[in-house]
Amino acid sequence: MSYSSPAAAHKLPYLARRALGWLLCLIATIGPLGEAFAAPELVVRDVQVVVDEGVYELDAKLDLPLPDGARKAVESGLTLRLTYEIVVDRVRRYMLDAEIASLAQRYEVSYHALSQRYLVRNLNTGEQHDFGTLQGAIDRVSEIRGLPVIDTALVSPGPVYEGRIRAVLDLSTAPDVLGWLLFWSDDWSAASDWKTWTLRP
Amino acid sequence: MDAATLKRAASAVVVGVGGLLWLAAILFMAQTAQNSEQFSRLHPWILAINVAGLAVLVGLLATKLAQLIRDWRGHVIGSRLKARMVWIFGVLATLPILLVYFFAVQFLNKGIDSWFNVEIRRSLDDALVLSRSALEVRMREHLADSTRIAEQIDDMGGSFPGALESFRRQVGALELTIATETGTIIAVGKGFSADIVPEDVPDEVLLQVRHGQPFVSLEPQQEGGYVIRTAVRIGDASPGEDRLVLQGLYPVAERLGALADTVQSAYQQFGEKDYLRKPLKASFILTLTVVLLLSLLGAWYGAIFTAQRLVQPIQDLVQGTRAVAQGDLDTRLPLTSHDEMGFLVHSFNDMIKRLRRAREDSRRAQQAAETERANLAVILARLSTGVISLERDWRVRTVNRAAGMILGDDLEPHVGAQFDSIDLGKDTLVRQFVDACRERFTHGAAEWREQFAFQSGTARRILMCACTPLPGEGDEPGGYVLVFDDITVMLQAQREAAWGEVARRLAHEIKNPLTPIRLSAERLRLKLMPALADAKDAQTLERATETIVQQVEAMKEMVNAFSEYARAPRLEMATVDLNKMVTEVSDLYRAQGAIRGVRFTVELDPSLETVVVDPGRLRQLLNNLLTNAVEALEGQGEGSISVSTRRTTRGGAEVAEICFEDDGPGFQREMIGQVFDPYVTTKVKGTGLGLAIVRKIVEEHGGHIEADNRASGGARIRIDLPLQEAGTDSARGRGTIEPRRERA
Repeated sequence: MSYSSPAAAHKLPYLARRALGWLLCLIATIGPLGEAFAAPELVVRDVQVVVDEGVYELDAKLDLPLPDGARKAVESGLTLRLTYEIVVDRVRRYMLDAEIASLAQRYEVSYHALSQRYLVRNLNTGEQHDFGTLQGAIDRVSEIRGLPVIDTALVSPGPVYEGRIRAVLDLSTAPDVLGWLLFWSDDWSAASDWKTWTLRP
Repeated sequence: MDAATLKRAASAVVVGVGGLLWLAAILFMAQTAQNSEQFSRLHPWILAINVAGLAVLVGLLATKLAQLIRDWRGHVIGSRLKARMVWIFGVLATLPILLVYFFAVQFLNKGIDSWFNVEIRRSLDDALVLSRSALEVRMREHLADSTRIAEQIDDMGGSFPGALESFRRQVGALELTIATETGTIIAVGKGFSADIVPEDVPDEVLLQVRHGQPFVSLEPQQEGGYVIRTAVRIGDASPGEDRLVLQGLYPVAERLGALADTVQSAYQQFGEKDYLRKPLKASFILTLTVVLLLSLLGAWYGAIFTAQRLVQPIQDLVQGTRAVAQGDLDTRLPLTSHDEMGFLVHSFNDMIKRLRRAREDSRRAQQAAETERANLAVILARLSTGVISLERDWRVRTVNRAAGMILGDDLEPHVGAQFDSIDLGKDTLVRQFVDACRERFTHGAAEWREQFAFQSGTARRILMCACTPLPGEGDEPGGYVLVFDDITVMLQAQREAAWGEVARRLAHEIKNPLTPIRLSAERLRLKLMPALADAKDAQTLERATETIVQQVEAMKEMVNAFSEYARAPRLEMATVDLNKMVTEVSDLYRAQGAIRGVRFTVELDPSLETVVVDPGRLRQLLNNLLTNAVEALEGQGEGSISVSTRRTTRGGAEVAEICFEDDGPGFQREMIGQVFDPYVTTKVKGTGLGLAIVRKIVEEHGGHIEADNRASGGARIRIDLPLQEAGTDSARGRGTIEPRRERA
């Protein structure tokens, strides 16, 4: 786990990309540019924050209904990338909330054809686990348990703190040399809504 | 720098910057197609820039095409030529671009498909299967090892923990772990590894073993390489006891692992690319299409721009030519190039410059000619001589005012008409003049000089006319100019001068001897009368001397009359009430006429106030005319004499008109023109000087007199005396002036 600025979405917003894609489709008149997938609907639920040894730790579950297109993409060798973006703000009455901590927990799910195993790699820790089924790998990354969010020393009594979490799912290539092509094919990339909770030290 | 130049410069900058951006975007897009990772993030933006450029270009092109169509429909100069050039340039640019695009798309499709042909896919699959087979042999061997160890452990009963390490060394395992089916580790054989924590038994392993199936798998490691994981059940458990599971972790030879990694990596990359084949093709084709569209639109826009640049000088030339045709010689075309078109424009400008100079010269010459013509017109207008210029075909070119005045009609409306067709009525002076001139022309005389005598009503007019041909081309005259003058008055004056001289000499030569003759006759009567005894002789002498005396008196009266006519008295001008004087003189004759049965009528214009005249001479004039009128009615019994005055305008000047009319026999028609000449009379008694003296008095006052017969019978004499403006010396009071002789 590492603390950093919020993950920069390096691609155009979803709607903008979609509009541009349609515009180019019309101009180019070359037919469909990529496979059309139904975008999965991500939902973060069961968020719980507990203090353990002076650290707020987060438990959460993610509903990740992976469509067949994504499964096929992973089996074809593409890497599924799941990022949990977590932000803690101090709530202020007359000003914008102050961000006091943020972190991004990143996972990659890929298929190892030789061993016929699905690998789950935690990019923050470097840990790797393998699973015999994709669903096993998905189940593994769909659950967060005991993720340290912020030290209690950083949260002073008095103010109200608000935490939020969301999950962002997309595809990538390994290495990322053909990533630009996913602009045309990762229509099923998706992000969940922010799930918030309140910290009261 | 003017607005147009500024606009051009701004357009050039915008087009240049836009073009560079566009080029950069295309190059970036080409770079993205080269799999460069750093452009992956820029790809959407680059596409967006290209699409925006495309939209801008479409807009520009649509604007230009709309303008071109409007020009075409509006028949704007050069629009058709421009449209043709745009069409040709556009087609010439489009065909090769489309050809290249077609072959490029074909190449892309076939080229990319060839990367993923069946042979490569099959080879990779085979390599993968081969690799798996090689590893599966190891996996089966290690599974067999694990199974054998599990049997031995089962045979050993509960003393296996100590033997586990020896088993591990025996089979070369990395780790041997004995755990319950719930995953609780009971024993571990791990050797002296740095990582002393035993590997957990994954749930899926336990699940499979619980189902009685041994587990074996090849697991790629986080730090590289592979590990073979096996799991088998150990014996049968007693009721109430957990079954035990033996998990073994076996290493894969480094060489074998590296080869397997190579195959795995190749297979994965191929799979990725195969999966992305469609978007890859679509992206390439899209890139190519965007470039195609940009190139096409750019080519068409360039075609329009080039055509505009080529046609612009031609449009300028055409517009300049039209402007010149409409007389605008200030047109100057912009010199935009130094090629042949520039030379043409330069020549056009030079031609316009010369034309302008020539027109300026012509204008100056024309202005000079107009000035001369105006001067000539003024001179002609002021001339008292009539001048008529004719074209070669006798059409009237110019007529001066004096010509109309002399001929008694306005000839200006007849300018441009045939001279010989001018007909203002029978017996008019113009008709007689035209007939006389036509007679000369028809006799072939081009240059002649002749004196004409015309009858204008009751007046006889003498015109001196000269015709001169105008210079023309070759021997043909360019026209004719008729110069004529009314010399009637001049001849009259000459006659008057002659008569005056005669009268003066007559008075001088005859009057002197008359007194001695009379004295001698009276002396003879006085001397001889007493000496004559015979009464008959004395009576004869008396009668003879009386006759001599009477005739001498008669001759003296005649000589006095001559003297009166010949003398040139100084006029004593004074302001006179004309109506009053006419009334006074008329009253003198009214009584005399009443005795003879003559009725007098006097009609006076009350608006006629005073005239500046010599009162004595005016009274003499009135006496002479009334005497003539009364004498004309002698022997006729009853008659009437009318005298009238009125203010009128003649020749543009105000005059006082005095008109005398009677109902006597009137003037003999053949003598009307000569009634004012001396010694012209129809009376038995009269000297023939009365009307001559009247005309002389009138002319001395600058007036005009004319005589004619009334339509109802009787004579009429009309006199015009100029009404002098108030304020002149003579008008303010008495003055002395020399008698006027200008008419003569």
